[in-house]
Amino acid sequence: MTAVLEARGLGKQYGRLWALADCTLSVPAGHVVGLVGPNGAGKTTLLNLAVGLLAPTTGIIEVLSGPPLARLARIGFLAQDAPVYAGLSVAEHLALGAHLNSRWDAGLARRWIGRLNVNLDQKAGKLSAGQRAQLGLTLAMAKRPELLLLDEPVASLDPLARRAFLQDLMEAVAEQELSVVLSSHLVADLERVCDYLIVLVASQMRIAGLVEDLLVTHHLLTGPRRDPATLPAEQQVISASHTDRQSTLLVRTRRPVLDPSWVISRVGLEDLVLAYMSQAAGPARHRHLEVQK
Amino acid sequence: MIWLSWRLFRIEAAAAAAALAAFTVLLAVTGPHLASLYAASGITGCHVGSCGQLADNFLSLLGDSSIYPVVYTLGIVGIVLAPAVIGIFWGAPLLARELETGTFRLAWTQNITRARWLTVKLTLAGLAAMAATEGFSLMQAWWAAPISQAARIAPNAPAPLGFGPFNPLAFAAHGVTPLGYAAFAFILGVTVGGVLGRVIPAMAVTLVIFAAIQVAVPLWIRPNVFPPDHAMVAIGSINGSTRTNINNTFAFTVDFLPSQPGAWITSAEAVNAAGQPASSIPAACKASGPSVPHLGSCLSRQGVRIDVSYQPASRYWAFQWIETAIFIAFASALTWYCFWYLARRLS
Repeated sequence: MTAVLEARGLGKQYGRLWALADCTLSVPAGHVVGLVGPNGAGKTTLLNLAVGLLAPTTGIIEVLSGPPLARLARIGFLAQDAPVYAGLSVAEHLALGAHLNSRWDAGLARRWIGRLNVNLDQKAGKLSAGQRAQLGLTLAMAKRPELLLLDEPVASLDPLARRAFLQDLMEAVAEQELSVVLSSHLVADLERVCDYLIVLVASQMRIAGLVEDLLVTHHLLTGPRRDPATLPAEQQVISASHTDRQSTLLVRTRRPVLDPSWVISRVGLEDLVLAYMSQAAGPARHRHLEVQK
Repeated sequence: MIWLSWRLFRIEAAAAAAALAAFTVLLAVTGPHLASLYAASGITGCHVGSCGQLADNFLSLLGDSSIYPVVYTLGIVGIVLAPAVIGIFWGAPLLARELETGTFRLAWTQNITRARWLTVKLTLAGLAAMAATEGFSLMQAWWAAPISQAARIAPNAPAPLGFGPFNPLAFAAHGVTPLGYAAFAFILGVTVGGVLGRVIPAMAVTLVIFAAIQVAVPLWIRPNVFPPDHAMVAIGSINGSTRTNINNTFAFTVDFLPSQPGAWITSAEAVNAAGQPASSIPAACKASGPSVPHLGSCLSRQGVRIDVSYQPASRYWAFQWIETAIFIAFASALTWYCFWYLARRLS
């Protein structure tokens, strides 16, 4: 399967600060990818690099097997806060899309915007945050992209608008063959729609993989108090908490956990992501391969 | 892209068109009468010797009316200010507003290169800026042609109607210089807006930089484009003024050189019979007191003359083209910088 998004040693520096450091990943085609991490983790930086709005300081990024700026025709992008021209009407935004894109699908744009229940003559500056996001998604979708990149598309929406937006997105994914990467700082938003997850924390990529893989390779172990360092080498400890008598460990391993002293339970996606997010920030590359102390 | 640029620019364009139209009406209403006054003044076909007087009469007749000085000043000042207004209201927001509101993330991720996006925007608004300013200037020059012709030969005409071609305001308002100023001010605003990324600070900085340049050029750059010509003239033969000081010094200001109508007089210096610079009143003339005519004739008798440095009227177009070329060159450099900045720095 080809990669829609591939980064090798990708980094972006602002002054002395690294917004994204040494990121290596390969996102296969045909997935809805959740890019999750706390605010300021580098999600926007990664997406802006993927769409050519930023140029990398180190490393390379390829989108649909080419440099981002050469792939703009095939990428749909919705920037954070869904920027629109306040003085242009909804209809004029659609005209803008039609003028600036060779593969513009006017019928799709009209269908999408028709469901929005907004007046086409309304100035975009007067739209609600939810309507603006929907307009932005319409513009991105009507390009008929192969890859859709959405930066915090639901962050400013109320729960109802959130659900409607994600539903529309899922319909579009089912309708057209496309890959999606969407970022959020809330796992709950992504849990319902994503089948692939990338966790970014403090400008470092912590883990990336298929959601079902992540769920079967992570186990929550509860048992008598024990030093995590004494675990078998193939069990990578993601997080550990101890009471006087008991230890609770989140471990990642491809092999079954055989030690009978553990009570093993499955872990939910949200807990899994939170465990990665709350890890102490470390300097090393491929952090997820290291054993936590 | 042309559609989007035009759609985002049309309010500014409409404002400019409205201003231009209002000005056209004003000129069209007052112009014919001005031309008929000129025809009646007798300046056309005047005999050498009487022309200056006729021109003075014509200009003072106009100066007495309540219309012509006002319309003339309004036009000149409007043309001089137009590039600054364009730089502030068209140039500065062009990139700054996109950056400030984040719409560049929308525009630059469509299927169009950033370079083409900028090319279309700059071409449309830049050409409109140059056309509007130069159009403004040509209309005013057509309307003011009788005044300019008379001012060139009138020795005693008062401002503003007596502005010669090299007067800093008149020079900036006529000829081809408005083209250069408009292009430069526009792209200056665009560049500052792109670098600062915020509209209001960009407007303020554009105004400050452009105003400083508009003051510096006539004061320090323009006089040095060509070395001045010199003329040695007798004190009585010029229009100007003499200043005397308590410490027995004197100096001349020369406004008009009869042998060089329309010339730009850059400096005037008194020299004594031996050709040395003179500034202290000779003992023989001290008795003549502060009364200037007497002092002047006394100084003349002592052999004092005035060394006038001037730029002849024949160099007017050379000055115009050189200054315009300089501004266009700077505008081109800024344009190049904008493209470079968009491709490299804003990423």
